[in-house]
Amino acid sequence: MLRHVTQGLAIGALLAVTAAAPAQAKTIKVAIGHQSMCTDTYTAGIVVKELKLLEKHLPKTGKYKDVDYDISWADYSSGGPITNQMMANKLNIGVMGDYPLIVNGAKFQATDSLRTYYVAGTGYNVKGSGNAIVVPVKSDIYKIGDLEGKEVSTPVGSAAWGMLLKAAQDNKIKFQLKNQSPAVGAANIAAGKIDAHSDFCPWSEIMEFRGTGRKIYDGSEAGVPYLHGVVVRKDLADEYPEVVQAFIKAVYDAGKWIKEDPMRATDLMEKWTGVEKEVLYIYFSKGGHLSLDPTIKPKWTEALTFDHTVLVREKAIPPLDFKEWITEKYIKAAYKDMGVDYEKDKAEIVDPAVANAGLPNEIWHARDGIKSYATLPEFLGAVAKFRATGAKINATYVYDKETGLKLFGKTAFWVTTPKGGFATFLRRGEAEKYAASVDGKVIDFEDAIGMKSS
Amino acid sequence: MTAAARATRITSAVAARPRLWWAVTLGFPAVYHLMMFAALVARFQAWPNYAVTYDWLGNVTEIIRATPSLSDMGAIIAQEWLFEVGRMNYDYGNGISEWSLHINPAKVLIICLLGGLVATLTTLVAARRAQCSSARLGGAGAAGGLGAALVGMTNVTLAWVVCCATPNWVVGLAILGLGVSSSLWLEQFGWWIEYAGFVLLLASLYLLSGDPKTAETAHQTAIPQSAMGAPR
Repeated sequence: MLRHVTQGLAIGALLAVTAAAPAQAKTIKVAIGHQSMCTDTYTAGIVVKELKLLEKHLPKTGKYKDVDYDISWADYSSGGPITNQMMANKLNIGVMGDYPLIVNGAKFQATDSLRTYYVAGTGYNVKGSGNAIVVPVKSDIYKIGDLEGKEVSTPVGSAAWGMLLKAAQDNKIKFQLKNQSPAVGAANIAAGKIDAHSDFCPWSEIMEFRGTGRKIYDGSEAGVPYLHGVVVRKDLADEYPEVVQAFIKAVYDAGKWIKEDPMRATDLMEKWTGVEKEVLYIYFSKGGHLSLDPTIKPKWTEALTFDHTVLVREKAIPPLDFKEWITEKYIKAAYKDMGVDYEKDKAEIVDPAVANAGLPNEIWHARDGIKSYATLPEFLGAVAKFRATGAKINATYVYDKETGLKLFGKTAFWVTTPKGGFATFLRRGEAEKYAASVDGKVIDFEDAIGMKSS
Repeated sequence: MTAAARATRITSAVAARPRLWWAVTLGFPAVYHLMMFAALVARFQAWPNYAVTYDWLGNVTEIIRATPSLSDMGAIIAQEWLFEVGRMNYDYGNGISEWSLHINPAKVLIICLLGGLVATLTTLVAARRAQCSSARLGGAGAAGGLGAALVGMTNVTLAWVVCCATPNWVVGLAILGLGVSSSLWLEQFGWWIEYAGFVLLLASLYLLSGDPKTAETAHQTAIPQSAMGAPR
């Protein structure tokens, strides 16, 4: 009551101010909220911004002939504040991960007069990779079952938190859950102050690349797709549908630009975001964690619906009418304008286990860039040779035999076989199982290189 | 006793100590925000390293223009910030705001109102000290204090990135050590807790502005005035 009276007074006074404001020339405001510390949002965020892809596609004819565009970008560390800013109309387009997207839709639908539409995706990993649980690099924890009774932190409310809850349910384990931001969790992993930390992209890989953390559980094990997307305020979409289509075209172009030359893209993205290019490469390269694809697939609706049930259980968020919220109208029109077959792209789902089979292992040579090797022995031989000559290696990449996920060579579990073959694994348990089946042995990266240099 | 008589007694108490009333009314919001700031610095053992001022009036004007429903408008305006001070972590990427304190004009208004009620209660306690028993004074003071604490707690404007970086009253509880899940669960009861706080404060004013019960009066009159140090 009191709050309503206060609000009423404020609104009354400010209505008068608004009424007195002078009329202005027609300007369309396009204000986008993005996250430069969340890799999966880059194709609708930092890349579109820096390459000015939206400006390229914004309509300039017909009813838009004399229009001025007021484009602004705001960078946030999570999706929650983007939703708040969208409610205040300071932003009218938001880019965020699956759980924050749902909160966005539900919060808007809880109002009398405001709505958002989920108009496009940015990228996905069909199995859920991107989220992961990491332990300190020297920890004796190697599988999720070892976390029973331990202290595990996560940014509560994030996609990684949702994955952690499902992982705990699936594995029937209980641990002490602590709420820690990505930066705090990463620092605590480095200092060994927490048993494990669950986080979203690219934090796990940042910890692995910096040599402070080791993945023990990948989001792919939860089996729920991990995806990010674009939400748009209904008033912008209804009044200027061509502007929304232009944004989707920009997202499509951003993905195409990355796929054309992932090394060039990650090099520039490092400059724009501060995230190491070697970490970004594991997401954006061929065989990387992220499939760049803005289409809205039925499987995404299923995943988002599942995610909503998790949030309802934990936070009692408002209901969400997915039929009203998810709309393909704008993306279909954008694809049609670009002459791209939407239904074909929509039908395609990249499964790393299938798509990455047979992809070459890679060495990022500091001077010569990415070099590819068809087999692990060739790859190890090259690493040994580079090291012998003192050449600087930025990073190395191999694939998990089990899931097809791209891994840093140094964090993989290596299995050597009696015939001199090698295999690489994300988790030690699977490496041990495989080693037992081939009468092999689990070794680390250094041992594997040693075997090729001796 | 009529409501008018109670109101007269309250206004007389305020009129008798105007300086005290103004000091508490104006000092309360200032102390409240300083305490939130101090709590953050003490909890995180670090000083803030950034501050931002927002175009509150411009933003509110835009909300009014872009929000068709009056009730939505009010709720969104109530979330608008004027000022933010906090700590940015630059260890990763371009930096992440770890924690922050927000000055939110709608909340400041509520805290000013709370300050006014606390000031009124303070002056009334001072004015009624001679007429009311210590139990009555203590009870009213405790209820008023609890009420003020509840209202203060539900108007906290702290943000912590682990709570998805939005300023919310339950962030205060999480920062103080309550589990995040429990804090987030409590969020739904925020308005009820705030109302309960105001009800307790108003009840305290009601209790103190009335006449003491017969037994209380009899108890007081049974004590010789000389024993209370009254001049003979």
